[in-house]
Amino acid sequence: MTDAWIVSIAFAAALVVVGLYGLLTMRNLIKLFIGIEVVAKGVSLILLSAGWARGNVLVAQSLVVTFIVIEVALVATALALIINITRKTKSLDVRKLARLKG
Amino acid sequence: MILHLALLVGLVLFSVLAILARDLIKSAICLAAASLLLGIIFFRMGAPYAGVFEISVVAGLITVLFILTIALTKTEGDVRESKLVRMVFPLFFVIFALIDALVMKGLLAKIPMLESAARGGTFSDVLWRERTFDLVGQIAVILAGVFAVLALFRKRDPHD
Repeated sequence: MTDAWIVSIAFAAALVVVGLYGLLTMRNLIKLFIGIEVVAKGVSLILLSAGWARGNVLVAQSLVVTFIVIEVALVATALALIINITRKTKSLDVRKLARLKG
Repeated sequence: MILHLALLVGLVLFSVLAILARDLIKSAICLAAASLLLGIIFFRMGAPYAGVFEISVVAGLITVLFILTIALTKTEGDVRESKLVRMVFPLFFVIFALIDALVMKGLLAKIPMLESAARGGTFSDVLWRERTFDLVGQIAVILAGVFAVLALFRKRDPHD
């Protein structure tokens, strides 16, 4: 069980990389945001695994709770932005946002 | 250890499905399943409060927000993703998994750890006494989120 935290961090790194792959390759705005969520999952797993390794789960746990609250505020704001953008450009395609001319 | 490993594999699998699924609703549901597994992992690591937050807020609330957004933007048609994305992903992931398995243990051994002793007490002691400023920050973040959403959905003034 001593190496369980190393395994957890290795899997968390995989989650971060999968999320980054989604962010770099997807075109749908909602899919991009799902990529951000996957990265956030990896980061919270890393935070808790680090605390677990050092025997300080309580502090890591409070950091993870703070992180989850920040994540919710981020999701609410970003999804509201996505709805507004979609109303304006009539599409979920992120490439249409490149046309910044009024 | 085997259960822990199975939960981690399930977490990565559902996250990959959430990224690669064609249907957005399926993506959102896979993300919720991944959050559920992450919550169970938190419970097993001895962090029940983080697990409860993860399951109730991330698997519950955020999934509802995603599905609501998908329903509100459904009429705008589907975005075509590049076919190359799904074809390249297995190769990319296998290469990363190999590097991860070979390098991670040595890398973690090289990172110096800060001195810290195991801490006693309860979660509420830590959250309310030692990390009080975090709570102030959390309240500020929630208020910022609420005001941002209010500002984004503001009705246009007829006099403008």
